[in-house]
Amino acid sequence: MDRALILMGVIGKPHGVRGAVHVHAYTENPASLADFALRDQRGRTIDLAWITEGVARITLHEPTGKHIVADRDAAAKLVNLQLFVERSALPPADDDEFYLADLIGLAAIGADGTTHGTITAVHDYGAGASLELDDGSLLPFTRAVVPEIDLAAKRAIVVPPIEIPGEIEVRE
Amino acid sequence: MTRSVWKGPFVDGYMLAKAETSRASGRNEIIKIWSRRSTILPQFVGLTFGVYNGRKFLPVQVNENMVGHKFGEFSPTRSFTGHSADKKAKRG
Repeated sequence: MDRALILMGVIGKPHGVRGAVHVHAYTENPASLADFALRDQRGRTIDLAWITEGVARITLHEPTGKHIVADRDAAAKLVNLQLFVERSALPPADDDEFYLADLIGLAAIGADGTTHGTITAVHDYGAGASLELDDGSLLPFTRAVVPEIDLAAKRAIVVPPIEIPGEIEVRE
Repeated sequence: MTRSVWKGPFVDGYMLAKAETSRASGRNEIIKIWSRRSTILPQFVGLTFGVYNGRKFLPVQVNENMVGHKFGEFSPTRSFTGHSADKKAKRG
Protein backbone atom coordinates (compact mmCIF):
# COMPACT_ATOMS: atom_id res chain seq x y z
CA MET A 1 0.00 0.00 0.00
CA ASP A 2 1.10 3.55 -0.69
CA ARG A 3 2.73 4.97 2.47
CA ALA A 4 1.36 8.41 1.57
CA LEU A 5 -2.16 7.12 2.11
CA ILE A 6 -3.43 6.87 5.67
CA LEU A 7 -6.35 4.64 6.59
CA MET A 8 -9.01 6.77 8.27
CA GLY A 9 -12.00 4.45 8.40
CA VAL A 10 -13.94 1.69 6.78
CA ILE A 11 -17.50 1.36 5.52
CA GLY A 12 -19.61 -1.21 7.32
CA LYS A 13 -23.00 -2.74 6.68
CA PRO A 14 -25.90 -0.89 5.02
CA HIS A 15 -28.37 0.94 7.21
CA GLY A 16 -31.97 1.09 6.00
CA VAL A 17 -33.09 1.06 2.37
CA ARG A 18 -32.04 4.54 1.24
CA GLY A 19 -28.35 3.90 0.77
CA ALA A 20 -27.05 4.87 4.20
CA VAL A 21 -24.14 2.88 5.59
CA HIS A 22 -22.46 2.35 8.94
CA VAL A 23 -18.99 3.90 8.96
CA HIS A 24 -16.24 2.91 11.39
CA ALA A 25 -14.06 5.97 11.87
CA TYR A 26 -10.51 5.54 13.17
CA THR A 27 -9.97 9.25 13.64
CA GLU A 28 -9.39 10.91 17.02
CA ASN A 29 -12.81 12.53 16.72
CA PRO A 30 -15.09 10.23 14.67
CA ALA A 31 -17.25 13.13 13.48
CA SER A 32 -14.23 14.78 11.86
CA LEU A 33 -14.00 12.02 9.27
CA ALA A 34 -16.42 13.95 7.06
CA ASP A 35 -14.02 16.94 7.02
CA PHE A 36 -11.27 15.02 5.19
CA ALA A 37 -10.88 14.58 1.45
CA LEU A 38 -11.42 10.84 1.45
CA ARG A 39 -10.55 8.45 -1.33
CA ASP A 40 -10.42 4.71 -1.80
CA GLN A 41 -7.61 2.50 -3.08
CA ARG A 42 -8.87 2.86 -6.65
CA GLY A 43 -8.45 6.62 -6.45
CA ARG A 44 -12.16 7.46 -6.33
CA THR A 45 -13.01 10.51 -4.24
CA ILE A 46 -15.62 9.85 -1.58
CA ASP A 47 -17.90 12.38 0.10
CA LEU A 48 -19.32 11.39 3.42
CA ALA A 49 -22.24 13.11 5.17
CA TRP A 50 -23.22 11.97 8.63
CA ILE A 51 -26.92 11.26 9.14
CA THR A 52 -26.61 10.16 12.73
CA GLU A 53 -23.86 8.81 14.96
CA GLY A 54 -21.93 6.20 13.01
CA VAL A 55 -24.27 6.25 10.01
CA ALA A 56 -23.54 8.25 6.87
CA ARG A 57 -24.62 8.85 3.31
CA ILE A 58 -21.92 8.28 0.67
CA THR A 59 -21.29 10.00 -2.64
CA LEU A 60 -18.71 8.48 -5.00
CA HIS A 61 -16.89 10.61 -7.56
CA GLU A 62 -15.98 8.25 -10.39
CA PRO A 63 -14.44 9.15 -13.76
CA THR A 64 -17.89 8.77 -15.26
CA GLY A 65 -19.36 11.27 -12.85
CA LYS A 66 -20.89 11.72 -9.45
CA HIS A 67 -22.74 8.72 -8.06
CA ILE A 68 -24.93 9.15 -4.99
CA VAL A 69 -25.48 5.87 -3.19
CA ALA A 70 -29.26 5.89 -2.85
CA ASP A 71 -30.37 2.32 -2.35
CA ARG A 72 -29.48 -0.63 -0.16
CA ASP A 73 -28.03 -2.76 -2.99
CA ALA A 74 -25.57 -0.03 -3.95
CA ALA A 75 -24.69 0.45 -0.29
CA ALA A 76 -24.07 -3.29 0.13
CA LYS A 77 -21.41 -3.10 -2.61
CA LEU A 78 -19.43 -0.64 -0.45
CA VAL A 79 -19.13 -2.93 2.57
CA ASN A 80 -15.50 -3.08 3.77
CA LEU A 81 -14.45 -0.22 1.50
CA GLN A 82 -11.47 1.40 3.16
CA LEU A 83 -11.36 5.19 3.37
CA PHE A 84 -7.97 6.82 2.99
CA VAL A 85 -6.63 10.32 3.09
CA GLU A 86 -3.42 11.62 1.60
CA ARG A 87 -0.77 12.31 4.24
CA SER A 88 -0.25 15.78 2.77
CA ALA A 89 -3.92 16.59 3.44
CA LEU A 90 -3.50 16.34 7.22
CA PRO A 91 -2.99 19.66 9.01
CA PRO A 92 0.53 20.31 10.33
CA ALA A 93 1.17 19.05 13.85
CA ASP A 94 2.08 21.38 16.72
CA ASP A 95 5.56 21.68 18.21
CA ASP A 96 6.74 18.39 19.71
CA GLU A 97 3.64 16.67 18.36
CA PHE A 98 3.90 13.95 15.74
CA TYR A 99 1.37 11.97 13.79
CA LEU A 100 1.55 8.31 14.74
CA ALA A 101 1.55 7.51 11.03
CA ASP A 102 4.79 9.48 10.70
CA LEU A 103 6.49 7.86 13.69
CA ILE A 104 5.63 4.28 12.80
CA GLY A 105 8.26 2.89 10.48
CA LEU A 106 11.06 5.24 11.52
CA ALA A 107 14.44 3.65 12.14
CA ALA A 108 15.61 4.00 15.75
CA ILE A 109 19.28 4.91 15.60
CA GLY A 110 21.52 5.36 18.63
CA ALA A 111 23.61 8.48 19.13
CA ASP A 112 26.69 6.44 18.18
CA GLY A 113 25.06 5.21 14.98
CA THR A 114 23.99 1.77 16.20
CA THR A 115 20.64 0.52 14.98
CA HIS A 116 18.12 -0.29 17.71
CA GLY A 117 15.32 -1.35 15.37
CA THR A 118 12.23 0.13 13.80
CA ILE A 119 9.32 1.83 15.53
CA THR A 120 6.31 -0.45 15.13
CA ALA A 121 3.74 1.13 17.44
CA VAL A 122 3.10 4.14 19.63
CA HIS A 123 1.23 3.60 22.91
CA ASP A 124 -0.35 6.09 25.26
CA TYR A 125 -2.21 4.81 28.29
CA GLY A 126 -2.44 8.15 30.07
CA ALA A 127 1.12 8.28 31.37
CA GLY A 128 2.92 9.73 28.37
CA ALA A 129 3.49 8.21 24.97
CA SER A 130 5.92 5.33 24.48
CA LEU A 131 7.46 3.89 21.36
CA GLU A 132 7.53 0.16 20.71
CA LEU A 133 10.39 -1.16 18.61
CA ASP A 134 10.26 -4.29 16.46
CA ASP A 135 12.19 -6.28 19.07
CA GLY A 136 9.38 -5.61 21.58
CA SER A 137 11.28 -3.06 23.67
CA LEU A 138 9.51 0.08 24.81
CA LEU A 139 10.98 3.56 25.05
CA PRO A 140 9.40 6.58 26.73
CA PHE A 141 8.65 9.26 24.14
CA THR A 142 10.53 12.08 25.86
CA ARG A 143 13.13 14.62 24.76
CA ALA A 144 15.75 12.82 26.84
CA VAL A 145 15.15 9.45 25.16
CA VAL A 146 14.24 10.65 21.66
CA PRO A 147 16.20 13.90 21.27
CA GLU A 148 15.95 14.12 17.50
CA ILE A 149 13.41 13.05 14.89
CA ASP A 150 14.16 13.40 11.21
CA LEU A 151 10.98 12.59 9.32
CA ALA A 152 12.55 13.29 5.94
CA ALA A 153 15.36 10.81 6.58
CA LYS A 154 12.88 8.43 8.27
CA ARG A 155 14.94 8.04 11.41
CA ALA A 156 14.83 8.93 15.08
CA ILE A 157 17.87 9.31 17.30
CA VAL A 158 17.25 7.40 20.52
CA VAL A 159 19.14 7.29 23.81
CA PRO A 160 17.69 4.28 25.65
CA PRO A 161 17.34 4.97 29.38
CA ILE A 162 19.34 3.07 31.97
CA GLU A 163 17.11 0.39 33.44
CA ILE A 164 17.18 0.05 37.20
CA PRO A 165 15.62 -3.21 38.34
CA GLY A 166 13.18 -2.83 41.18
CA GLU A 167 13.11 -5.42 43.93
CA ILE A 168 10.58 -8.20 43.86
CA GLU A 169 8.73 -8.31 47.11
CA VAL A 170 9.76 -11.29 49.24
CA ARG A 171 6.93 -12.72 51.30
CA GLU A 172 7.83 -14.55 54.46
CA MET B 1 -14.89 0.07 50.67
CA THR B 2 -12.26 2.79 50.69
CA ARG B 3 -9.01 2.46 52.57
CA SER B 4 -8.93 3.92 56.09
CA VAL B 5 -7.38 7.39 56.14
CA TRP B 6 -5.32 6.71 59.28
CA LYS B 7 -3.30 4.04 57.41
CA GLY B 8 -2.08 6.49 54.79
CA PRO B 9 -1.48 5.56 51.16
CA PHE B 10 0.01 2.15 50.48
CA VAL B 11 3.36 2.02 48.72
CA ASP B 12 5.94 -0.74 48.65
CA GLY B 13 8.82 0.45 50.82
CA TYR B 14 11.66 -0.17 48.43
CA MET B 15 10.17 2.17 45.84
CA LEU B 16 10.78 5.25 47.94
CA ALA B 17 14.47 4.43 48.19
CA LYS B 18 14.67 3.66 44.46
CA ALA B 19 12.95 6.92 43.59
CA GLU B 20 15.24 8.90 45.83
CA THR B 21 18.34 7.29 44.33
CA SER B 22 17.09 7.87 40.78
CA ARG B 23 16.26 11.51 41.46
CA ALA B 24 19.65 12.13 43.07
CA SER B 25 21.52 10.61 40.12
CA GLY B 26 19.78 12.92 37.64
CA ARG B 27 20.40 10.42 34.87
CA ASN B 28 18.06 9.24 32.14
CA GLU B 29 16.72 6.23 34.06
CA ILE B 30 13.70 3.99 34.11
CA ILE B 31 12.89 2.17 37.35
CA LYS B 32 11.46 -1.26 36.60
CA ILE B 33 8.80 -2.20 39.11
CA TRP B 34 6.35 -5.03 39.62
CA SER B 35 4.36 -3.23 42.27
CA ARG B 36 1.21 -2.25 40.39
CA ARG B 37 -0.61 -1.85 43.72
CA SER B 38 1.56 0.99 45.00
CA THR B 39 0.06 4.45 45.18
CA ILE B 40 1.79 7.21 43.22
CA LEU B 41 3.21 9.69 45.73
CA PRO B 42 4.28 13.31 45.14
CA GLN B 43 7.91 12.14 45.54
CA PHE B 44 7.60 10.19 42.28
CA VAL B 45 6.60 13.17 40.10
CA GLY B 46 9.02 13.68 37.23
CA LEU B 47 10.43 10.15 37.34
CA THR B 48 9.82 7.39 34.81
CA PHE B 49 8.87 3.91 35.95
CA GLY B 50 8.61 0.74 33.93
CA VAL B 51 5.47 -0.90 35.30
CA TYR B 52 5.14 -4.61 34.62
CA ASN B 53 1.89 -5.66 32.99
CA GLY B 54 2.56 -9.40 33.03
CA ARG B 55 4.45 -9.32 29.76
CA LYS B 56 6.57 -6.19 29.55
CA PHE B 57 7.47 -3.05 31.44
CA LEU B 58 5.40 -0.14 30.14
CA PRO B 59 7.00 3.30 30.61
CA VAL B 60 5.00 5.49 32.99
CA GLN B 61 6.08 9.13 33.18
CA VAL B 62 4.71 10.37 36.48
CA ASN B 63 3.12 13.82 36.59
CA GLU B 64 1.14 15.72 39.24
CA ASN B 65 -2.24 14.58 37.94
CA MET B 66 -1.34 10.95 38.62
CA VAL B 67 -0.69 11.41 42.35
CA GLY B 68 -3.08 9.25 44.38
CA HIS B 69 -3.64 6.73 41.59
CA LYS B 70 -2.04 3.28 41.50
CA PHE B 71 0.80 2.44 39.13
CA GLY B 72 -1.20 -0.43 37.66
CA GLU B 73 -3.81 1.96 36.30
CA PHE B 74 -1.30 3.20 33.73
CA SER B 75 -0.05 -0.18 32.59
CA PRO B 76 -3.00 -2.10 31.16
CA THR B 77 -2.75 -5.85 31.01
CA ARG B 78 -4.94 -6.00 27.93
CA SER B 79 -4.35 -3.57 25.14
CA PHE B 80 -5.79 -2.72 21.76
CA THR B 81 -3.51 -0.72 19.52
CA GLY B 82 -6.07 0.35 16.93
CA HIS B 83 -5.35 2.43 13.87
CA SER B 84 -3.13 5.48 13.84
CA ALA B 85 -5.27 7.57 11.41
CA ASP B 86 -4.91 11.23 12.43
CA LYS B 87 -3.84 10.50 16.01
CA LYS B 88 -0.86 12.37 17.38
CA ALA B 89 1.69 11.75 20.12
CA LYS B 90 3.25 14.54 22.15
CA ARG B 91 6.88 14.24 23.11
CA GLY B 92 7.18 14.70 26.89
